[in-house]
Amino acid sequence: MNPFRQSALALAMLGLSLPALADENLFGYVRGAEVLPRGQVEAYQWFTQRSDKGAGKYRAIDSKTEVEYGVTDRFQVSAELNMLSIDTSDLLIDGYLPGDKKYGLRPQGIELAAKYNFLSPAKDDFGLSGTASLEYGMLDVHSGQKKTEYEFETQLQAQKFFLEGQLTWVGNIGVRAAYEKRKAIANLPNGFEWSTDPEMEISTKIGTGLSYRFAPGWYGGAEVLREAEYETEVGLERWSVFAGPTLHYGDKQWWATLTYFRQLRGGGEKYAGQADEHLHLIEKTKNEIRVKLGYNF
Amino acid sequence: MTRSPHDWRLFLLPMAALASSAHAADYLTVAQAQVLLFPAAKDFADQTLKFDDAQRNRIKAAAGVRQRTAEQKVWRAERDGQLLGWFIVDEVIGKHEFITYAMAISPDGHVLGVEILSYRETHGGQVRDASWRKHFAGKTLADRFKLDEDVPNISGATLSCRNVMDGVKRLLVVHKLFLAKA
Repeated sequence: MNPFRQSALALAMLGLSLPALADENLFGYVRGAEVLPRGQVEAYQWFTQRSDKGAGKYRAIDSKTEVEYGVTDRFQVSAELNMLSIDTSDLLIDGYLPGDKKYGLRPQGIELAAKYNFLSPAKDDFGLSGTASLEYGMLDVHSGQKKTEYEFETQLQAQKFFLEGQLTWVGNIGVRAAYEKRKAIANLPNGFEWSTDPEMEISTKIGTGLSYRFAPGWYGGAEVLREAEYETEVGLERWSVFAGPTLHYGDKQWWATLTYFRQLRGGGEKYAGQADEHLHLIEKTKNEIRVKLGYNF
Repeated sequence: MTRSPHDWRLFLLPMAALASSAHAADYLTVAQAQVLLFPAAKDFADQTLKFDDAQRNRIKAAAGVRQRTAEQKVWRAERDGQLLGWFIVDEVIGKHEFITYAMAISPDGHVLGVEILSYRETHGGQVRDASWRKHFAGKTLADRFKLDEDVPNISGATLSCRNVMDGVKRLLVVHKLFLAKA
């Protein structure tokens, strides 16, 4: 078993041994409007594998370990540790992927977040929450190279129950602003552009999902997420639409969610020689698999 | 790019392990709940109701929520041939599992009491507490059945509270339509 796969297996098993977890996620990418009750603590662990840029070899795993706490019945706070593992070779993307890189899980950044529930989906018939988060990053999650990043993200989550909660709809809309500065790299390929000037980036996220409880504890559904990145000089720089099925299992204390996400369409900047004309593969990949594990204290 | 066919299996491992850890939590049997809700009764006569689609639609129209099943377990509680009320066992949707509860209705259609038989959710175990269940006593179809007004909400278990409350209202509708003149 190679080191990369060992990391995935070890982390999957680590997830099983965590003492306990967060507000139950029926989806892998879009979020619901519910929050933790006052005084409750939850933790969760999630892994995302991103793979296939249409050329060479590219595979990365993002790990997120999160602890949440319900301050009041409407307000929760959370802290996260993010890690990154990457394995890429035979793939150069000017300005973005400067060369081969391979390492196991390393700390990538930390994040602090808060979520406020305005309306409860079960009590008020329509749920609405807002989140805000601050993140500090040390590694570029696309190339695996070193960089400093400060990020602020805010989002609204809507949620509606149908059929007494057997069917759940979720809708999200959010905006993210980031300040990024890459570290210089020695021995870059000839003529390779690797800007180390500070950059500001703004991106938006719009997503929705539908999940149906087909058996006690089991939910099956689908979700879709559109992300767009904007820059001062070019306006809309890149965009992508991912969609896929999601499977959720919840027990009294544990829950798990598995989502397969495939990029359906994308646009904007492309790398030289990119074969897939209608995908965004500069920073995104064709496929993502995400597993989330939760345990309630 | 090369991709291992084993990648998916790694991600499925935790879910498979979790699914195998499912458990149930049954607190009362039907017989125990019958004694708690009708301590004076000597006989419980099975009077299970079976609904056709039209009847289920009538229940939904009056109660505002679905009558999910075509069969409703009902017992006639009696003492020396005198009707004391109706004992009904029902299931409503919880976050993960069904919540099984029993309800006692008086002959004139008000709630005598509610007992929780099974509750398996992460939060909201307080639905089993007498201090929460007492809010149903005396309720009739004249009440609004609004969460946090008629019945208090339990944080973290809002869906469970809402569905039990709506279930109680639905059973009062069932009583009015099919049992009140029985």
